[in-house]
Amino acid sequence: MRGGVLGLDLAALLVRDPGRTVLLRVGGVSMQGAGIGHGDLLVVDCGLEPRPGQVVVARLGDSFTVKRLVRWRGGLALAAAHPDYPLLPLPADGDHQLLGVARCVIRRC
Amino acid sequence: MALATVLIDGNNFYASCEAVVDPAVIGRPLVVLSNNDGCIVSRSAEARALGIAMGTPYFKVRAQLERHGVVVRSSNYALYADMSQRLMSTLERWVEDLEIYSIDEAFGLLHRPAGGDLSDWGRALRRQVLCHLGLPVAVGIAGTKVLAKIANRAAKADPACGGVLDLAAAADVEALLETIAIEDVWGIGRRLARWCRLRGVAHARALRDMPAGELRRKCGVVGLRLQQELQGHACLPLISVAPAKQETCVSRSFSEPVATLAQLREAIATYLVRAAEKLRQQRQRAGAITVFARTSPFAPASFYSASATVTLPLASNDTAVLLAAALPLAERLFRPHRLLVKAGVLLQQLQPDDLLQHHLLVPTTPEQQLRRERLMAVIDGLNRRYGRGAVQWAACGLQPAWAMRRSRLSRAATTCLAQIPRVLAR
Repeated sequence: MRGGVLGLDLAALLVRDPGRTVLLRVGGVSMQGAGIGHGDLLVVDCGLEPRPGQVVVARLGDSFTVKRLVRWRGGLALAAAHPDYPLLPLPADGDHQLLGVARCVIRRC
Repeated sequence: MALATVLIDGNNFYASCEAVVDPAVIGRPLVVLSNNDGCIVSRSAEARALGIAMGTPYFKVRAQLERHGVVVRSSNYALYADMSQRLMSTLERWVEDLEIYSIDEAFGLLHRPAGGDLSDWGRALRRQVLCHLGLPVAVGIAGTKVLAKIANRAAKADPACGGVLDLAAAADVEALLETIAIEDVWGIGRRLARWCRLRGVAHARALRDMPAGELRRKCGVVGLRLQQELQGHACLPLISVAPAKQETCVSRSFSEPVATLAQLREAIATYLVRAAEKLRQQRQRAGAITVFARTSPFAPASFYSASATVTLPLASNDTAVLLAAALPLAERLFRPHRLLVKAGVLLQQLQPDDLLQHHLLVPTTPEQQLRRERLMAVIDGLNRRYGRGAVQWAACGLQPAWAMRRSRLSRAATTCLAQIPRVLAR
């Protein structure tokens, strides 16, 4: 698709800055309540500082994880949007890193 | 206001790119191998600490790497090129002018506020690249390109710098220049370095202060420019606009020597398909094709090297047209009993593809031409989306034995929709 559809540039709608945007494929159902399902494409902006309340991508140990960042007991934690999944506290000295903020989900109908 | 020159480059660029897309390798020693999994061309800091040397042939250290649990990766050029593009597009916003010097290295030009220290600026730049791309870079700032190179090197060498050094704000520039060996000064080749050493010129400071006449007699104006740059007089301009490509070349060493005409044809077809793809990306057409092949230079007695050229009646970037013209050349290059180790394709007489072409002897209607262009665009699109080789030309062969060895290739994590990394929602 070159140019746009109906005069709209879809890429610009999804991506604010291509240089700092990554696409990731979602595996798992823990974010279903936030409208993010298994197999969806996640558009992640690594240039935004993750803030509590936002859906973020973090590195936990040796994998990428998508969750909602929340305040918890004076610190931060990652919360799933599904009742079966526990809260994941982020201890200050833990092996993790907040990488960016999820901006959009792309899913085929 | 004075101008400052900055040199930004990636630390262990290839190894760092691998860690960006695969968190499982973060903090582990990792090496990246050259074509055909030959030598070590990039090492993570952890691999460096193990004492693994740059350029070491893989087969020599394979056991050692396994013992230490080192992650080994083949060169993933699709990934490195994409990360490079992201890096350069970020840098462009930080400077007034940018010269992309290599895949992981760029010079920039910016104004220096009167008496201003650009260290904080450099640190902010470094932070942003690390945050947006996950890549560590070193930033060297000075008045000229040669000095910016030196500042960059010093920024990496001294952990206290935190990857950033502004030479204008450095405490003792004289002492710093004396730590830069003559061999490490940008533009000094091996022979010139030896000549300098014989004259007792062992480091950058001594080169800066040696008699200009002597340097001029030895290496002319090139040497003088180098010296002036060391003295802080900028005379190497920034080259920010890449000239339109005159030629496009694709050549590779074979993983196993090629001894049959059929194999040589497959190899040439494969390289040509890739070169044609590049040509369409550059929005150009080629007017001539040269193919070349050679045996190993390490067996001088039987050394054989040859090339053959064909001129096209009508410039083209249609893979089928280029294949039909180039494949007969394989027969002209091929000699029985010559074990070929390398071949390549060079597309020449390149011209922009927006010029409409007509030729009396090659009648094509604009409609036909448009259909061919659409076909090529569809093929390129499929290969981009599903990975190179998703749509293949039969002439390239299936599973060729000579193909470049890349047994430990990571995924095309940023350029191919089918291979992007997974984020867990578990």
